[in-house]
Amino acid sequence: MAEIEFILNHQKIVSETDPSLRLLDYLRNTLAMSGTKEGCGEGECGACSVLLDGKVVNSCMVPMANVAGHEVTTIEGFRETKRYKILEQAFVQCGAVQCGFCTPGMIIASESLLRQNPHPSESEIREALSGNLCRCTGYNMIVDAVKKASEDGDGLW
Amino acid sequence: MSDINKTIERVDAREKISGIAKYVDDLKMEGEIYAKTIRATIAKGKITDISVPPLPEGYATVGVKDIPGKNFVKIIFDDQPVFTESEVTYFGEPIMLLVGPDKAVLRKIANEIRIAYKEEKPNLEWDDPMISYHFSKGDGDQPFQTASKTFSDVYITGYQEQAYLETQGLIGYPEGNRIVITGSMQCPYYIKNALINCLGCKDDMVRVIQQTVGGAFGGKEEFPSLMACQLAVAVYKMKKPVRLIYDRKEDMPVTTKRHPSRIRLEAAINKKNEITAIRAAVGLDGGANAGLSGVVLQRAMIASSGAYTFPNMDVTGRVYRTNTVPNGAFRGFGAPQMLFSIEMFIGHVAKFLGLDPFEFRMKYLAKQGDKTSTSGTFRDPIIMPELIGKAMKESDYLRKAQIYSAGNGYQGIGMSFFLHGCGFTGSGEATHIKARVRLEKDENDNVRILIAAVDMGQGIRTTMRKLVASILEIPMEKVIFDLPDTDFVPDSGPTVASRTMMIVGGLVDRCARKLKEKWLANEKQILEENFQQPEYVKWDEEKLAGDAYPAYSWGVNIVEVEIDKATCQVKPIGIWSEYDLGHAIDEMVIKGQCDGGIAQGVAYGYLEVMEQKDGRLRQKNLTDYIIPTAVDMPPTMSGVIDNPFALGPYGAKGAGELTLVGGAPAIAKAIEMAIKRNVTEIPVTPEKIRELIDNGRN
Amino acid sequence: MVKQVIPETLKEALKLMQQEDYILVSGGTDLMVQNYSESGIVPDFKRPVMYLANLEELKQLKVEKDEIIIGAEVTLETIRQSSIIPDILKEIISEMASPGIRNLGTLSGNIGNASPAGDSLVGLYLLDAIVELESMTGKRLIPIEDYITGPRKTVRHSDEMIVAVRIPTREPECHHYRKVGPRRANAISKLSFGGVFSHENSMIIDVRMAFGAMAPVVIRDKSFEKSLIGLSKAGIKAKKKAIIDHYRMLLAPIDDQRSTAVYRKKTALALLAEFIDLITD
Repeated sequence: MAEIEFILNHQKIVSETDPSLRLLDYLRNTLAMSGTKEGCGEGECGACSVLLDGKVVNSCMVPMANVAGHEVTTIEGFRETKRYKILEQAFVQCGAVQCGFCTPGMIIASESLLRQNPHPSESEIREALSGNLCRCTGYNMIVDAVKKASEDGDGLW
Repeated sequence: MSDINKTIERVDAREKISGIAKYVDDLKMEGEIYAKTIRATIAKGKITDISVPPLPEGYATVGVKDIPGKNFVKIIFDDQPVFTESEVTYFGEPIMLLVGPDKAVLRKIANEIRIAYKEEKPNLEWDDPMISYHFSKGDGDQPFQTASKTFSDVYITGYQEQAYLETQGLIGYPEGNRIVITGSMQCPYYIKNALINCLGCKDDMVRVIQQTVGGAFGGKEEFPSLMACQLAVAVYKMKKPVRLIYDRKEDMPVTTKRHPSRIRLEAAINKKNEITAIRAAVGLDGGANAGLSGVVLQRAMIASSGAYTFPNMDVTGRVYRTNTVPNGAFRGFGAPQMLFSIEMFIGHVAKFLGLDPFEFRMKYLAKQGDKTSTSGTFRDPIIMPELIGKAMKESDYLRKAQIYSAGNGYQGIGMSFFLHGCGFTGSGEATHIKARVRLEKDENDNVRILIAAVDMGQGIRTTMRKLVASILEIPMEKVIFDLPDTDFVPDSGPTVASRTMMIVGGLVDRCARKLKEKWLANEKQILEENFQQPEYVKWDEEKLAGDAYPAYSWGVNIVEVEIDKATCQVKPIGIWSEYDLGHAIDEMVIKGQCDGGIAQGVAYGYLEVMEQKDGRLRQKNLTDYIIPTAVDMPPTMSGVIDNPFALGPYGAKGAGELTLVGGAPAIAKAIEMAIKRNVTEIPVTPEKIRELIDNGRN
Repeated sequence: MVKQVIPETLKEALKLMQQEDYILVSGGTDLMVQNYSESGIVPDFKRPVMYLANLEELKQLKVEKDEIIIGAEVTLETIRQSSIIPDILKEIISEMASPGIRNLGTLSGNIGNASPAGDSLVGLYLLDAIVELESMTGKRLIPIEDYITGPRKTVRHSDEMIVAVRIPTREPECHHYRKVGPRRANAISKLSFGGVFSHENSMIIDVRMAFGAMAPVVIRDKSFEKSLIGLSKAGIKAKKKAIIDHYRMLLAPIDDQRSTAVYRKKTALALLAEFIDLITD
């Protein structure tokens, strides 16, 4: 066990935890925060995406030791923001949600992209989402949603 | 009143986007314990000994001896055990559950369990048929005797894995002296009926509740019944809530896949270069037990004429038993295998005869009034020529086809024609399912839709409510459609076979219209509607003759590709589709089905590789089993042309599977044009393309 | 439960490493997956584990004299976005894995993992990278081709840690990289090819070629490359068949669940031919 201190959704957390515990398990089991999903356990599907210092990472690969001193944002934290509202509205309007399992991860990956590149091209959006698998939508409507969000949210990113 | 087709916001979109929607693994129950499945580590043989270490307090095994009822999963045949007693028929076959409160401890105990086997050589050849069917149309294969020429070839398709993002998972718990199973599923009543059989209990002793489902595509049609039975026995024994949730690396190797197929097609051709008869021999690899393979085979066989009409047909089919994971339902259900085969075949026949393939195919296109492969009738208007014309125009097909066919630029464009029978094959609706729906209105004039249909992403939580709201002319907020719970909903049948909107929605539509007529404001009202087979639909289950389906949806897919000369990698650069699915209940929901379905169908044709070696699947996780990413998908255009079906709600027919079944032949044809070789096998991987270019037939 | 340590300084880490043979975890993108047991259970590490991602001293990214120094804990994405990194390495990283993995993964992790299919290794072999090891007893500088001896095998001693990767600043005139994966993103390579060259006064002064995922380690034949120096473009063109024949003898890939030996070999040689055409055009 080790004492891991970090920021989660803008709140400081000091936790006595196994340093090898996956961040994904810490969120879902220790904190019962179920917004971040597990789809594959090996960093392939992106359903477990969270922001680490504002950048998208697969939380199934992050040991708690590597979280110490950093800032983690999950869908639960992000959904309180204005930028989330723009993304949410765009996803709704573009029909980008079917079964929804990939969706929180897609939102997180989109936020990571837009923070770095507020007006991405279509190919940049696809590249940024390349680590998030979706089996229902064929991706086009998700890509449209991110494009729309970048336009509607002009100035926010 | 505006067209129902006009898109509205999906009712569950925001809860899913925000991470608030709960899938089964997101639920936590007081006092819950975990279940871990102990599986066979050989593909064939007998279990001679099982030794379990001494178990700590709170830990137990759950196996055959704990089953109060019957040790088989009730689906169609009774050859799938809940737990295998002594005979092992596939690698990974479940032997028992290990249950207890700590997963790490369970893992440790599982590693100490020793199972001894008398191993036998697994049968991996397709030589042990467990199901056989045959039907013929007209003079059957007689014309072969007087044929001027014949042409034949064998078409091969591989496994396909559903790769739903949410893995299989269920939670079981005791409720009084009943058992409740909840989780990810397509068919609450399939599960309920399987539980009753396995527990040997009365109907009211089990309850099944759907949770939000993270994708299914057929993979959660029958497989969850096996898990549910195992889980219910564990709950029965332990009297505690039990979780049975698979990690991906457990899920992929042991759950049902699309049946690999080998289909031999032969054409009898007369002096005028016309096809006078088609003979088809369909082989499917069923895996270790039958499951739904018989129905998959039927659908495949019935699809043997594709979008065409042939005057005489002789169709045989077999499902072979092999010592591999049992195969099962996957969107399309036998049709994708057959449609790939017949679409490629008819093109190859044309080439063999030196005729233009497009003209040749147009000649045989089915028309209203034609007899189907099973000698039923295409009663409704068929608008294939309009669909084809529109798709060709949008894609600039003819110009590209000419340039690519003549050039050496490794570019190609391919077009598939296809249909999909809507609803259960044959008399299934009338004799097996007997669907019933219910609408309940309360004193505040809120109307509850009570059906067993599951929203697995295809949007029925929205479209069913929209349907009822539209008919009753009340706001969406006044229509309620909760996740199905067998305590409250009648059995409207499984969420499969593209039947949900057409059949179940059709019943809901009739029920709503009756409610509208009988509407009493601020009064509680309950109405039900039962399925009635339209009397014109006549089906002979013995002969496999008559109307296999009450209606058909139709489609055209066009895929354009570029192939890299050095690496033979295929890059789809455009996809165009046009569909006749009767009438779209929601434009955007249908677009989602179009985009998602064709992504799966095209990937089935060129990208998704799953192979078996010594009875074990080689690709066991999402790293090795390749599905498309956002970068792989090209611009995809789709459209629908209205052709309302009289018996469908607002004219709707089936859509769920239609959008997948034509993708593979479209891309296969594009690849053929690019490499100037015949393609008879999918997936058309770069390795295969390399081989075809170096050694293949022109 | 194995021992786990999170040192706060490099010195602390190196001291600890004198006592035990630690599994060194940087981003975790390989090790957390390789040791994954089940959802909800801590990964199943077989030896004590040391977590290095937070060591600030290993995060430098700078040019020093004629070398680019990439600290061991600099992430792949940071490297990719840096202006001091040669284009070919940036291109290779762009096609690796996914954004979520690039934001965690490191070159030191890729090197330590020494996977036959490691894409960044092709770039490092091509650029004559040097691995800088440090222990309590000193430093060692080892060329990458001597560092990796086989799949998962390196010459690192258990008390040594990769602290940096050094790459000569000399940027080649032209580069060509082709990754062949099963799909167009987020995939493990079936094979890859990287080539760089420079020419002066119509003569080749530098040409380097490397093949990835074709053997237990990256394939590069430096002595053969030397034999091409000084040739004119026309000279190279004339030798095209000989060059391909040379590598045909050298390449002996295998069948596995990702691809076949036949495909890998034919494709690798086709990519080589493509590179030669690029040089000679």
